[in-house]
Amino acid sequence: MRARLLLILAGLALPAAAYGQSNSAVSNFGVTGNVPGSCAVGAPQLAAGRQNNFLGLNGTTLQIDQLVNPATLSTNAASVEVRFEAVCTFPHRLKVETQNNGLWSTSERTGPAPEGFGNAIPYRADVTWDDTNLRLNADAGVRRIANNSVLVDGAGLGDLLLRLEIDAGATNERANAPLLAGTYGDTLRITLEPQ
Amino acid sequence: MRLFSSSLAALLIAGSGSAALGQTTAQRGPVPISGNVPALCTSGTNSSGSGNFDLGVLTNTGTGLLRNDLVAPPKILTGAFCSARSNITVSATPLLSVNNTASPGNGFSRTVNFTATATGWTTTAATFTTGAASNPAATQLRPTPFLGDITVSINGFSTGGGNGLRLVADPAYLGSVTVTLAVAS
Repeated sequence: MRARLLLILAGLALPAAAYGQSNSAVSNFGVTGNVPGSCAVGAPQLAAGRQNNFLGLNGTTLQIDQLVNPATLSTNAASVEVRFEAVCTFPHRLKVETQNNGLWSTSERTGPAPEGFGNAIPYRADVTWDDTNLRLNADAGVRRIANNSVLVDGAGLGDLLLRLEIDAGATNERANAPLLAGTYGDTLRITLEPQ
Repeated sequence: MRLFSSSLAALLIAGSGSAALGQTTAQRGPVPISGNVPALCTSGTNSSGSGNFDLGVLTNTGTGLLRNDLVAPPKILTGAFCSARSNITVSATPLLSVNNTASPGNGFSRTVNFTATATGWTTTAATFTTGAASNPAATQLRPTPFLGDITVSINGFSTGGGNGLRLVADPAYLGSVTVTLAVAS
């Protein structure tokens, strides 16, 4: 009796299997793409209400209003905050680089300043980006390229804030030393680089 | 050899007997002959190169946002047929980052949705949109047997969570499209 029951079950299963193979057909396609690691930084914008002794932003140039205090002939305090919209889709390195390591006279005159005069102005650059803070002290000790960087372990999105601060009386000679007449400048580069 | 001779003799005797009965006609039949044609469907062969829709770089590298000009050539299934009334069904899974599977941070996504469409089989195309709450047009009925080509295409790309989100970097995003032809009950 048990054997017969098994035969009946087998007889039912065979036609069902044959039927299942023939009455439907399936085609599969893959859909592929990729997203490369990339970073983008937008145009700078002045952060409202965070500006002292700066005329403003002209393109990508920050213009200091009164660089020298007429009473002391030394450096006036100045500060400004600039905001950049930025995004990185990958772990990346945030890097801040100064071309001159301070605000240096841009005149063609070379050589050391006369005794007692300063010809460069130190400043600080503080960058805040995606819960990461980075400071670059441009100490104006030697005219050179200087940089600082930090690894950000993940994607980032939002505002990158740059704050520049110049202390009153700060020079490369001594505090409150008079500054040589001329135009002073530096170039600051902020880089977000996929790793 | 002896056995063969005996069989031949038996046939001859039978022949003689049949001729003797020929005067009173006898008929067998009609004999019914029957067969059946099972309901069959085949999905044809892909005549459009690889079995992948390759979209390449998904984002605008200047903004990190999904490109709005994504396009992939359609796939043609040549020689598909069903020998009975049939349903065509399209389903798809969204493109997901393969390696970077961590939950994306604020402002980011790892999903690209799209719409897959199969045309040529039914008057109304079968369509399926990944990420949609429902896909009522995913299955379409063809009431008659049919032999023809099916064109499978994808379009309508969008970022999962909203097009304002950036896509996390990954060298491989992968999704799928499945087209099924089935005999309708």
